[in-house]
Amino acid sequence: MNRRVVITGIGSVTPLGLTLEETWQNLLAGKSGIGPIRTFDASTFPTPFAAQVPDFDLAPYVNEPDAFKDAWRNVRFAMAAARLAFDDSGLAPGDYDPARFGIYLGSGEGVIDFRNLVDSIAHGTGEGGRVDVVRFTELGLKRFSAMKELEQEPNMPANHLACEYGLAGPAYSCLTACAASTQATGEAMNLIRTGRADLMLTGGTHSMIHPLGVTGFNLLTAISTEPKDEPWRASRPFDRDRAGFVLGEGATIMIVEELEHAQARGAKIWAELVGYGTSADAYRMTDIHPEGRGPAAAMQMALDDAGVGPDAIDYVSAHGTGTQENDRVETIAMKVVFGERAPQVPVSSIKSMIGHLIAAAGATELATCVLAIRDQILPPTINLDTPDPECDLDYVPNAARPAKVEVCLSNSFGFGGQNDSLAVRRFLP
Amino acid sequence: MDRRVVITGLGCLSPAGIGAQALADAVRRGASAVRAPTRFDAAACPDRAAGEVPDFDPTAGIRKDQSRYIKKNIKVMARDIQLAVAAANLAVLDCGLPLGDFKAKEPVLPTIDHTRFGIIFGTNFIPTELEDLSVPIQAAREDGRFSLKGWGERGIPEMFPLWLLKFLPNMHACHTSVLWDAQGPNNSLTCSDAGGLLALDECVRILKRGSADWMLAGGAESRVNPITFVRYTLLGRMANVGADPPAGRSPTAGEGPAVAGRPFDLGGTGEVAAEGAACLMIESMDVAEARNARIAGEILGTGSSTTTAGVNACDPDGRAVATAIRAALADAGLEPGDLGVVLAHAAGLAEHDRSEAAGLADALGHAATTIPVISMKGVTGNMGAASGLADLAAALIFLKEGQVPPIVNCDQPDPEVALNLVTGDPQPLARDLILVTTNAIGGQAVAAVVKMNR
Repeated sequence: MNRRVVITGIGSVTPLGLTLEETWQNLLAGKSGIGPIRTFDASTFPTPFAAQVPDFDLAPYVNEPDAFKDAWRNVRFAMAAARLAFDDSGLAPGDYDPARFGIYLGSGEGVIDFRNLVDSIAHGTGEGGRVDVVRFTELGLKRFSAMKELEQEPNMPANHLACEYGLAGPAYSCLTACAASTQATGEAMNLIRTGRADLMLTGGTHSMIHPLGVTGFNLLTAISTEPKDEPWRASRPFDRDRAGFVLGEGATIMIVEELEHAQARGAKIWAELVGYGTSADAYRMTDIHPEGRGPAAAMQMALDDAGVGPDAIDYVSAHGTGTQENDRVETIAMKVVFGERAPQVPVSSIKSMIGHLIAAAGATELATCVLAIRDQILPPTINLDTPDPECDLDYVPNAARPAKVEVCLSNSFGFGGQNDSLAVRRFLP
Repeated sequence: MDRRVVITGLGCLSPAGIGAQALADAVRRGASAVRAPTRFDAAACPDRAAGEVPDFDPTAGIRKDQSRYIKKNIKVMARDIQLAVAAANLAVLDCGLPLGDFKAKEPVLPTIDHTRFGIIFGTNFIPTELEDLSVPIQAAREDGRFSLKGWGERGIPEMFPLWLLKFLPNMHACHTSVLWDAQGPNNSLTCSDAGGLLALDECVRILKRGSADWMLAGGAESRVNPITFVRYTLLGRMANVGADPPAGRSPTAGEGPAVAGRPFDLGGTGEVAAEGAACLMIESMDVAEARNARIAGEILGTGSSTTTAGVNACDPDGRAVATAIRAALADAGLEPGDLGVVLAHAAGLAEHDRSEAAGLADALGHAATTIPVISMKGVTGNMGAASGLADLAAALIFLKEGQVPPIVNCDQPDPEVALNLVTGDPQPLARDLILVTTNAIGGQAVAAVVKMNR
């Protein structure tokens, strides 16, 4: 069975725009979406800045706005991005069999009800931090809200989307941290290839920009803490002075479709998904294997799956978080895969501008590959002021660059060691 | 030309004990393992029943370097993750692959290609442990009240650095992959009760497309903690324990936690929160036969769908379950009449049970009146993402005797359930084909068809 899979709709809501085109134009202009955190008082946090989605009204994007009053940002972003993706796709009810339209989402969890959790724990806390669970429970039962609790569960974005669009096909949510939406898209592609579905709603959504989310990453020293007065300089992938990633948030939702199904309805085709590779580091809970064996394996697998050699790749969208370790190891992995040609393969990190969207990062980065193919231009890695001798590839420093772009790789290497890589190509009938 | 996929190892931790055999024995004996909660003081919870896994040693049977890794990291592995790791260990130890000699610095499984060995776990959001936050919260106080500014200045420094990783839903698969050097495909499916069987489905698809040769399909979750009890209480999902029955319902057959979870029963008032983990080693049949592996069963087909009735609702007509079952049967090339038994999800929440029953009846058609249907939740409670997988692991053992044991705590079958529920006496197992289903309220539904190897 040689079913081909194409992208026929994209919607995106990010710190750089409430539409895909707005985000793209800002990326090409080298604009940063990073600024002081707006949605809670993070002024004393080690990292008081992040890349946040501008405020917007959800009502125009959903059938029943009231159904979302307890939903967190992850759900709101997903619903908005999905509506944009559907509008973009031109799909109307009747164009498809709902049982053949599934969903596979890199689905970020909601937000812990921090104030009520804090108050309930405090209510039960006695000597030496011991918690009287009975007192915790008594207050918790009064303070917590049933629907706010439900909205924390990680499959809620997919649940909301399925209800909104009546999707009855194969259904999954995954949460392999930073790799989630790359993984979701790759598995969605395979479900179509093997005939389980003709259409899949895929991509990802996440927001960890809340007190416990920022706390968690600060504790891991994974996120950059400086410069507080010029936060747009804090995300510096591949730069010698990089010191961690910057949290972003948002959603990029794609409709992926079997080619003949798309052609039969005269769909606009963005690009073709041609390969997917996935591997695990299996090394340590916090560190990446120093030889980049996992990322290299995932990239090679994607190339093999696409039936192309490394020479075919015109651009790589890096995972490029801006941690010392990731960027160094990712560089090594690039050299393993591309060999002597590695210095000629442009590889940039949009995380330098948009931040790290965690479960939504992979899909957002894949979308930029699709746009790079359309517009024949590469987004830059900004803040690349001082080269790191260990990071000596072409990271498209500081300015977007016109280039011939036919085939791209998009990489996501998650916390916990999952490595995923997608190969996407200009659609050639 | 599709690769055939078989089950070669079973691992399970449930309230019935350690190992799939323990759960199989409990189901056969009709013994509920549900008790009053002991893992935390539930005095303020209105519904005090839980399915708790007894003490277990996550280092049992494994190599010294693996034990060392677990002991070193156990403080940053939440309960769910410890359960997951233990279940995976059991599955690998059960599948017969030789363990490498640690002293000779052999790879942990020297006869396999570790790049072709992957792991997928169904998992869920793990609530923080309260005492991981209590001192930091106190430190954040200003003028006797909690202050977010104070949290940034004084609370965060009191937290331990790996706090986030202790509770992330992908760390079950991460730790397991490190322990077993599983460098192949690795995923974490956060689909609530449906996660375990979806992990099985994805493992099968990965094997069939040739991306791996061995996959661990797991599900692990612990709902036995204060935050989850509060959440499920507020959502109205918890079974009443010895309370007055709701109007219009027959009284429960007895009192106490052991009879609180009543699948498909008129007296059912909700689910029992439980914990557990199950893990199956699956591999392609040619690989298994080449190494003379003991084969417990073959996975013939899988299918999934999702509820569209609402995020906190079940399809009254069970359509998501029906779609998943039809897809699984089609994938297997089978008809409903080919099935020998159905392992349903049915955790005792009437709306949920009836939805699944409607879906089953619809998909099974005529066969709905003859094929025996059971649920094991009366024995274990609802183990969340371990559902379905744990049931399958146990069933592959207890069904060998050719009898389908009756549903524990189903004494007055709900007349709206138009299925052949096994109650009172066991029924004979007419054919070796098992259909197992799970579905999450408001979420995914999944079905798998497995041919038992007797």
